[in-house]
Amino acid sequence: MSMSLTEPRIIVFTCNWSAYSGLESAGAEGLSYPASVHPVRVMCLARLHPGLILRAFELGAAGVLLLGCPPGECHYGSGNSRAAEMFEELQALARLLGVRDEQLQLDWVTTGQGATFANKVREFADRLMLVPAT
Amino acid sequence: MQTESIKEAIRTHRAHYCLDCGKCTSVCPISWRDPSFSPRALVESCRLDATGTVLSDERIWECLTCGRCSLVCPSDVQFVRFVRELRSVARHAHQEGHCTHGATIQTWMRMMADPEIKQERLGWLTGDLRTAAKSDTVYFVGCLPYYDVLFRNTGAQGTEIAQGAVRIMNALGIEPMVLSDERCCGHDLLWEGDTDTFGRLAKLNTESLRATGARRVVTTCPECAYTLRTDYQLGMEVVHITELLAARWDKLAECVTAQESEQPLTVTFQDPCRLGRYMGVYDQPRQLLLNLGLQLAEMDHHGSRSICCGTSAWTQCGATAKCIQVDRLREARATGSDLLVTSCVKCQIHFKCAQNDPVLEDGLRIEVRDLVTLVAERLKESAGS
Ligand code: SF4
Ligand code: SF4
Repeated sequence: MSMSLTEPRIIVFTCNWSAYSGLESAGAEGLSYPASVHPVRVMCLARLHPGLILRAFELGAAGVLLLGCPPGECHYGSGNSRAAEMFEELQALARLLGVRDEQLQLDWVTTGQGATFANKVREFADRLMLVPAT
Repeated sequence: MQTESIKEAIRTHRAHYCLDCGKCTSVCPISWRDPSFSPRALVESCRLDATGTVLSDERIWECLTCGRCSLVCPSDVQFVRFVRELRSVARHAHQEGHCTHGATIQTWMRMMADPEIKQERLGWLTGDLRTAAKSDTVYFVGCLPYYDVLFRNTGAQGTEIAQGAVRIMNALGIEPMVLSDERCCGHDLLWEGDTDTFGRLAKLNTESLRATGARRVVTTCPECAYTLRTDYQLGMEVVHITELLAARWDKLAECVTAQESEQPLTVTFQDPCRLGRYMGVYDQPRQLLLNLGLQLAEMDHHGSRSICCGTSAWTQCGATAKCIQVDRLREARATGSDLLVTSCVKCQIHFKCAQNDPVLEDGLRIEVRDLVTLVAERLKESAGS
């Protein structure tokens, strides 16, 4: 059985700009990250809403990591602060549903930083392995 | 197969007795605002349907299941039951309504159907509220803690209702049990035709509720009350809090400070569909308001003729829903009341959402409150301690 089937699935939403460019750089530089990570690119994290992310958990995701632009560097100006507001609401709902904070995080990657992308994703996955299976 | 299911629904809910009179359409709040919708015409389409194409008809999801039509039907067609079953058939044919709020609510409901889920749903229970590990009463909180998060931006009160309910019960000498593994009652999924998930929720809640050994379940949501009473086989008494409080007014009277000012507040009451038309609880909330020393000014449509808050099961909320809410808020304002009181968190959310309209704002302004919080804030300091 391959690792990707036994490892829990982790969904990483990246914005199209900083975070996705980090992902592309990681690929170009040959940096690896766990096979359990399934990146999903959206134009901006502000496009996401709590229902969509809860749906990932409903379908069995072990964790969801949202990666956007660094503060002040949103491609659209205000997208990442809107995403932060959305995240607050999402986190409150997720906590009610028993999702632990280490299973759901919001973070950012600077454009072109492949190593940062790979590290953040790996650290997120590592922390999740510590969460006891429910 | 599907056409058989449609025929079955027609037979079971008496749709084949329809006389085509159109009385239902004349009292339907959706039809008033959206002439393309008519319960009569939907019944007719189903009866004439030979291939199952009616299942992709958008109208199936438009109905509020408010029950106004059933009151006037001369043939006793059970339209709301019919539409509920039709939705279940349509769902099996991979059709569904448009879930408002990105299906956030339906998603948490389905997540709660997972037997393994460990919710953290009792954060609202502050130290001053007394609950018991063993009691003859369970307070079924429903999705209030969740609505509190999702609709905080509308100004809706969620956990305040739960806190108020426990505070009032404490004043009456009741220390209820509250369950950390309670789940959504499933009302909205059931009425949207998702009978599978409803069945799972009902089973889990029934097990937990029965395991308490309590005699009675109290709810603050009319939809929870109706569902637990009618669609569960609980074998326990289920009461909505307005029924409990009205029945215990003698005792409650000692615990509350009634309005004493020369000019008492005037209030008007929005009958939630499940509380009023479905359970026949019209007088109790009104009696409570009068007992609190408030003046009651009725809207033109009240009691059994009351009009739904415009959206049901978090589905198809759109222009028609908004029109119904705006009409209703204007009707409430026309009574000259200071407060629009309701007894269902969903009515409150829908009205407060409509009030956020930046253009109509001033014309829709009236404070919307839940009856429970109104009673709770009038409890005397010493009550129940
Ligand atoms: S239940 Fe209400 S919304 Fe639905 S058809 Fe009847 S009157 Fe109209
Ligand atoms: S009121 Fe009853 S009989 Fe008349 S059209 Fe409607 S469903 Fe048919």
